[in-house]
Amino acid sequence: MMTQDADKVLDHFELFRGAEYKEMFANKQKNFENRHADGEVERVREWAKTPEYQEKNFAREALVVNPAKACQPLGAVFASLGFEGTLPFVHGSQGCVAYYRSHFSRHFKEPTSCVSSSMTEDAAVFGGLNNMVDGLANTYAMYKPKMIAVSTTCMAEVIGDDLNAFIKTAKEKGSVPAEFDVPFAHTPAFVGSHVTGYDNAMKGIVEHFWDGKAGTAPKLERTETNAINFIGGFDGYTVGNMREIRRIFDLMNVQYTILGDNSEVWDTPADGEFRMYDGGTKLAEVESAINARGTISMQQFCTEKTLELIANHGQEVVSFNHPVGVKATDEFLMAVARITGHEIPAELEKERGRLVDAIADSNSHIHGKKFAIYGDPDLTYGLAAFLLELGAEPVHVLATNGNKAWAAKMRTLFDSSPFGVNCKAYPGKDLWHMRSLLFTGPVDFLIGNTYGKYLERDTGTPLIRIGFPIFDRHHHHRRPVWGYQGAMNVLITILDRIFDQMDATTNNTGQTDYSYDIIR
Amino acid sequence: MTPLNAKIQEVFSEPACGINQGKSEKERKKGCAKQLQPGGAAGGCAFDGAKIALQPFTDVAHLVHGPIACEGNSWDNRGARSSGSALWRTGFTTDMNETDIVFGGEKRLYKAIKEIGEKYDPAAIFVYQTCVPAMIGDDINVVCKAASEKFGRPVIPVNAPGFVGPKNLGNKLAGEALLDHVIGTAEPDYVTPYDINIIGEYNLAGELWQVKPLLDELGIRILSCISGDGKYQEAAYSHRAKAAMMVCSKAMINVARKMNERYEIPFFEGSFYGIGDTSEALREISRLLISRGAPEELMARTEALIAREEAKAYAAIVPFRYRLEGKRVLLITGGVKSWSVVAALQEAGLKIVGTSVKKSTKEDKERIKQIMGEVAHMIEDMTPREMYKMLREARADIMLSGGRSQFVALKAAMPWLDINQERHHAYMGYDGMVELVRQIEKSLYNPIWLQVRRPAPWDGEGRIAKLGMAMAAE
Repeated sequence: MMTQDADKVLDHFELFRGAEYKEMFANKQKNFENRHADGEVERVREWAKTPEYQEKNFAREALVVNPAKACQPLGAVFASLGFEGTLPFVHGSQGCVAYYRSHFSRHFKEPTSCVSSSMTEDAAVFGGLNNMVDGLANTYAMYKPKMIAVSTTCMAEVIGDDLNAFIKTAKEKGSVPAEFDVPFAHTPAFVGSHVTGYDNAMKGIVEHFWDGKAGTAPKLERTETNAINFIGGFDGYTVGNMREIRRIFDLMNVQYTILGDNSEVWDTPADGEFRMYDGGTKLAEVESAINARGTISMQQFCTEKTLELIANHGQEVVSFNHPVGVKATDEFLMAVARITGHEIPAELEKERGRLVDAIADSNSHIHGKKFAIYGDPDLTYGLAAFLLELGAEPVHVLATNGNKAWAAKMRTLFDSSPFGVNCKAYPGKDLWHMRSLLFTGPVDFLIGNTYGKYLERDTGTPLIRIGFPIFDRHHHHRRPVWGYQGAMNVLITILDRIFDQMDATTNNTGQTDYSYDIIR
Repeated sequence: MTPLNAKIQEVFSEPACGINQGKSEKERKKGCAKQLQPGGAAGGCAFDGAKIALQPFTDVAHLVHGPIACEGNSWDNRGARSSGSALWRTGFTTDMNETDIVFGGEKRLYKAIKEIGEKYDPAAIFVYQTCVPAMIGDDINVVCKAASEKFGRPVIPVNAPGFVGPKNLGNKLAGEALLDHVIGTAEPDYVTPYDINIIGEYNLAGELWQVKPLLDELGIRILSCISGDGKYQEAAYSHRAKAAMMVCSKAMINVARKMNERYEIPFFEGSFYGIGDTSEALREISRLLISRGAPEELMARTEALIAREEAKAYAAIVPFRYRLEGKRVLLITGGVKSWSVVAALQEAGLKIVGTSVKKSTKEDKERIKQIMGEVAHMIEDMTPREMYKMLREARADIMLSGGRSQFVALKAAMPWLDINQERHHAYMGYDGMVELVRQIEKSLYNPIWLQVRRPAPWDGEGRIAKLGMAMAAE
């Protein structure tokens, strides 16, 4: 029997679709694989869709299957890359760093610079001081950064390496000049997730500049201005979002500092020049940011410790949960206006009107639809709030890295809307839990990152890709999801999928195409 | 010395490794991998190496014992293909938390193994050790042994925590896990004089399937491929093969050598990248099988197949040659690809201006010299900046590399083609070579590269006038 044809070798897309292969697999299964009977396989497949299986699935204690979270240092690297000329330096084993670079490069389609202190077994036994001393010296000499932001992998955390003391010693040994900025944050992977790491690194950087650079400079004094600081948090849409936020601030004519701006370093042009560093918050701006009247964070759970530090310096701090939609954007703009004393210009009001108009145009298509959402705590909150605003029901909202406080906040949100009655938040659960939920409580659409495509395949629930990481679609990160224009983008993304799904279920010629319409 | 350290020393003194044999006793103890440079951009760790070497086993549940870092950032990132089970793509981890680190993670691991067995019923469970549980002293060997006995299913410890060294060491430690716990634990239903193992082949983009029909035609059976599109059971009875082909020599040379030692399976190092190399590999497989008792006529059939396939492949490449002749290629890859692809590209009239040898062995380098001559530009290690400079100075027309470097190439206005694990096209065998040439041609002549290298038309003096002239000229 012919399987592959040596005259025309098929690649992996086509190979197994031929009749020969189908027959061969069937024979192989029948004669050699000693499989359970088809009926039995089917019975178990169906059983895995039942509430009974779900109960067992939710009783899992030790095993995590398909986690929707990453580790602290990934978040720390994200935060560090948002500063001018900054090279993230992860103290610990080097393999972790290779993952961070791949992870970001696959999402942003850009090179991502990051180094590690390459600790090996000796360092694990004797401590990683030498790695820090050599590592900082090498990084400084080879890559000529303006700042090196240090974080840790869990390995360095388990042996208890003291970053403050190590960096001090490294400076004494001349690895980098004494006045060179080396902020640091302890970021153990076995606590929290990448959003915790973002928070720790951001806090470390702010603290470094404001509170005397680890005892090597005087602490900064604060003279209040009417400027504001803005922190985006760990955000897969940072490229589009930051530009949109700048546009909004410029329209409002406010004085602002974005603390951590990754929009340039992850979107450099192909003009023949390689920019290892690009854009980012200027180091002098980080210092002057202490004088702002207030600080706005777009992601509460990404910035809890950072905001506490900033509040302790006398600033007003306001946090949102990845605000998407009319009401969430209203609240954001009003907070900006209130803190800075600037008006919201007519132009933004017009954009708001356009968004309301667009939602009204399409309201009947989203109204009453059921959604499942998973992702980071703030993003899931922001999207759920937008869906409630659209009259949809975010029935299952899951965050592997969500905690009890997040779940309580989600409950309050659900309770605030008649569309939230049947909705529930699932903190600390993984995508295998979500799989059960999609079977026992089916929804119309699933919102999540690229990994959601397996849930789409298994449960037949159409996936709308919003989140991080997005590996299998390109360039989504270039579009904002914040501001009225950002909400418009999210609306269009959701509507596109709804219409695609409608077309896909009505395009059967002579069967269902009585509803295959040109006008939707 | 701990068992893990003993194992590492054993891998370091691998007698089949040329680099190792060239060293003094003292140097050998230091280990075969280049010492990592703290503060330098680095590649993957031993855990990553072990995971990617074994993950292509398709019907195995791959359970990562450690905090979220190791699996959370990396699950399902391997471009291998499966003709059967999809279980290998599911991310399993114990997601250790602070309490586990204080009180030890062994119980959690044991429970996780139990839960996988109950919910997925896999052929086997591979448990990967990572830095943190290794440091706090979780003994995965003991847990796996207890779990195997209790649950009556193979639970294989893969002891390669990240801190013991780089990716390549992990590849080898993964091989050791197979040798210690898997290979030789089952018997095939039947054997033939034509049974071979392919070791260190991962079926990336399904490329093993491009070679398999050639072997099928010759009546040669792949008893076990380690590990591309592999099944646990096949690896378990792979010791009954008559001969073996070692594909990625840096990754699993220890497996081939020890299987030779233990089961007298002769092996050779070869590659299916490139026309000449594919032919050589087929010849060598037949030669080894004949030496183990296969009928002599196999060689004649092999030569006939080679003659036919080579003629066909060259004929298919001819139309591309005039478009590729003299184009300069920079290869940023490693190991076996650093030379096997070189020969292949030369066949298409391309000129290789440099090849990276960071992950290559001494033999790899020797081969590069043979193929490219003494002037071969071997790049030991490259920072993005150096790479950029090299590309920028236009010493190459196209770069072939993997995911982490390709974006740098683009900034230097350099056409690039992905030939590492994330690629979507299969380049192995005769047809694969034609495909590679086709893809290079496509990449080189994509119209965007002209645009990328051209400044905006209104730049500089006389902006609009210049724009008008340029348009008129076209």
